[in-house]
Amino acid sequence: MKTRYVLSLLALAALGYGFYLSGQHPPDAVQGEYVRIINVHVPASWVAFAAFGGTLLGSLGWLATRRRRFDAFAAASAEVGVFFTALSLLSGMIWGQVTWGIAWDWGDARMASTALMFFIYLGYMGLRRGMPDETERAKRSAVIGVLGFLTVPLSYFSVNLFRSLHQTQSVRPDGWQIESGEIVTSMLINVAAYTLVYLVFVTWRTSQGMVPDHPELGSDLAGDAVVAPSLGGRDE
Amino acid sequence: MTFWKAAAVIMRKDLTVEGRSGEVLWITIPFGLIALFLIPLALPLDNPLLQRIAGPMYWVILLLFGMTIALRQSATGTTPQREALRMLGVDAAARFTGRVLATTLLSLAFALVLAPATVVLFDANLPSGWPLLIPIVMAVTLGLGIVGTVAAELTRGLRTRTALAPLLVAPLAAPLLVAAAQATESLSRGDSILLPALIIAFTVLGLAVIGVLTAGPLEETQ
Repeated sequence: MKTRYVLSLLALAALGYGFYLSGQHPPDAVQGEYVRIINVHVPASWVAFAAFGGTLLGSLGWLATRRRRFDAFAAASAEVGVFFTALSLLSGMIWGQVTWGIAWDWGDARMASTALMFFIYLGYMGLRRGMPDETERAKRSAVIGVLGFLTVPLSYFSVNLFRSLHQTQSVRPDGWQIESGEIVTSMLINVAAYTLVYLVFVTWRTSQGMVPDHPELGSDLAGDAVVAPSLGGRDE
Repeated sequence: MTFWKAAAVIMRKDLTVEGRSGEVLWITIPFGLIALFLIPLALPLDNPLLQRIAGPMYWVILLLFGMTIALRQSATGTTPQREALRMLGVDAAARFTGRVLATTLLSLAFALVLAPATVVLFDANLPSGWPLLIPIVMAVTLGLGIVGTVAAELTRGLRTRTALAPLLVAPLAAPLLVAAAQATESLSRGDSILLPALIIAFTVLGLAVIGVLTAGPLEETQ
């Protein structure tokens, strides 16, 4: 419990520092002040991909061991992933509106594939809500957790595979796609801060998910004192 | 009984059930044709526009109704049927494969009926290399069969099945739709269809591997 609080404070501090840095770097020559959206968009996208990777690992873990913790972790990670995917889509749309002049471009493969990824994990959460039985829920959502991950590499590599308005990955093995060192530093600090936020959310939600839906009831129940009527000496 | 023999028996059983119920032949196929018929009615009277959207519309209708075929009522096995198959020692993966093959054949039949209807209703011009689209159609229907069968299994017995199953199938089948539409467009322009064909092949392969591997755990009862 103490670790969780320490992690939460650390995440809050990192988020605050990242926010401060986002306002410090100079505006871009072309994008102006809107370049600061990168400090939300890239970290949110990174966390979304990582979160769905966590769901994949949790799902595989459950399928291999049938341990409840894996299912709780997979579900928690998916929930956080959906939140950050929505944030990534929203920030990308705002940036697109001011930079490209259009919030949603159907010719952009990254947007469409990210939206698909978002919907499949919404389906994952919908499936979990519709299943009252814990084991059955864990089993079925583990399968979706594995299948759904197919959309993650599709979204990540869509900028390389398909015709796309979206630029290629900001961080690539052959170097940065961003020229200003200050923007890169600020973005990386925010990536670290968002990752800490992810860890905090997932840790809390996993522990909540570990609580059984239908806890075993103790023997002291209301109504225990009420016994069946005696039939006057006829023991049955 | 070998794996493939068991899969063939399950496929034949599913096709026989479909033959008796006629769910795909008498309901899904006519419904798909009506959908194809409704689209031009909702658009302005513009033949070049219809010709341009003919290919994408074909794939959209195939995806949506292929999903309906995979989730058809006649393919839903009851619990006693499943128990009987398990007691007979039928491998879960073979059962899954058989169901996928039956669904693929039915979707393929739908795709074959849909193709000439699209050409006629949308006044579409077939691209010069159109025979190359045949393996694409086959792969797409196989992919749809796999995703649909998994989704049907995942949503079995749920009250929210009608809405939830398409929510799971549509995003997973979307890469097939995008790649198939891209292949059709590339053929019309005389370009190579290698990249979309590879995307379809890898998607179908990935879905098949995951589908077969998870068929066992999905079969388990508590």
